[in-house]
Parts: sequence; C-alpha cells; structure tokens
Amino acid sequence: MTLGQIVAKYGCTVYTRNSFDSAKEIRYAFCSDLMSDALMIMSTVRESGVLEDSVLITGLATNQSIRTAEMLDVDVVCLVRGKIPAKQVVDLADESGIILIGTELTMFNLSGRLYQEGIVGIASKK
Amino acid sequence: MILVDKRYEIIPRDFNFAGQASSDIKRTLKNMRFSRDFIKRVSVAAYESEINIVIHSLGGRAAFKITEAKLYLEFTDYGPGIPDIALAMTPGYSTASEESRLNGFGAGMGFTNILKSVDRFDILSDPNGTVLKLVFDIGEADRDAGL
Repeated sequence: MTLGQIVAKYGCTVYTRNSFDSAKEIRYAFCSDLMSDALMIMSTVRESGVLEDSVLITGLATNQSIRTAEMLDVDVVCLVRGKIPAKQVVDLADESGIILIGTELTMFNLSGRLYQEGIVGIASKK
Repeated sequence: MILVDKRYEIIPRDFNFAGQASSDIKRTLKNMRFSRDFIKRVSVAAYESEINIVIHSLGGRAAFKITEAKLYLEFTDYGPGIPDIALAMTPGYSTASEESRLNGFGAGMGFTNILKSVDRFDILSDPNGTVLKLVFDIGEADRDAGL
C-alpha cells in the first residue's frame, strides 16, 4: 500500500508537506505509545528495507516519537486518536526527514484496516 | 588516532531537548558512512542512555569518541544514583514518573535495549552520580555503508 493510498483511504492529515512522498510503499507497521518498546522490537530487525518501509503508529504526539523513528531509520510516523502535534514536533520531523501524518482512527482500528490491506506487523527477532 | 571527540550536556526533565545528543551522534555516524546496522545499534544505546539521564537524574553529560577500532560513549550524571542496579536492569522494571510516562518513557526496557546493542558495558553508581561506559567494536563490515 502506498502512503498516498493510506492518507486518502483513512482521511489522514499530512503534517510534513515538504517530505511527503505519496508513492512511498508501506509494507510493515508497529504500534506503541512507549518508545522503549518500539526501540526494543524494531531494533532487532536486520533485513534491509523493512524499517524503511514501516510506519510507526502511536498516540504519542511529542518530539520523542520523531526521535525514536529517527534512531530506527523509520521514515513515517502516524498519530492516532486525532492527536494534533505541536509546531515544534512538526518542525523536528521536517528537520529529521520524518514524514508525520495523523488520523482520527484509534490505534486498533487503523492497525486492523492496514492489516486487512496486507501490511504486516514487525515481530521481535531473537 | 581519535577521529571524533564530542561532548554534550543533557538537561533533566526537558522532553523537547531530549534526544538531541543521540541525534547528533547518529548524524555524525551517517556522515562517516558507517553501516546502517552499526549506526542503529549505537543510536538505540545512545538514545536510551540519554533518556535515562533526562528522566531519572539531576542532569548530566555525554562524551562520544571514535578511534580506528572502537566507538566509546560515556554518560555521566550528577545523581541521585541507582540504588539497585540489578533490579534496574530487569526487563519491564521502571521507576519513571507519571510525567515521563506521558512522554512515552517508562517501559522499563532501557537497560535491556542498551545491553543488546553494545559490545562492552560498564556501570558505576552511587548517590553522587552514575557513570555508564559503552564500547562498540568497529569491524570491517561496520565501516562500509555503500551510501
């Protein structure tokens, strides 16, 4: 599924207009409101291309979601439950080259819909 | 030969600034064309260590050095120390405040993530402060980025 399709289908708001790439392919996703959990699971991925094609789905609309994505080489962060990021969060995303989008959907409902479209979860690799 | 020698101040409870040192470390490694995998290991360990200082300490600093064969990160804070290091390292254990949790921290996985990322780990702690020394071996494969 492309980022453009996700935005259109789930009525997402695009906060980082400059870096937005509607053709970007999204194949994987991970959900968490706790950033150490995201770091724990996502840092175990060794195959190239997986994190780059992932979206981090979170209700945490702070700088730390952007920092976490940056540390992991995840290019896209999607805020759920209608959270609106502060200007400094959008600025940090712009500066870090992270695409920041948001939806009114809850974490479960967005995840379920993406899963139905064939986007799979990232699991921990031992 | 020392290739990089940088220092950073880490401000306690400042959740907007938190992560700035790790971000600079990551960008430095990217510019030096280390491998993606190596950069990720260092970045995750750096970020977790920096966040620990932000959420638990009275403030501190980080030192970042690279030689031909190794990368060194040293995080020093000004207290109050970790009373029980073994307990603090238990996966899921956290003493993070409500404010920290609202900022996405307090999963209790910080030390676990650091330990998984590093080649050598040393910690010293007393009420005057904690020193965390992390060492990463730089192998042949870590140097090539092919960027």
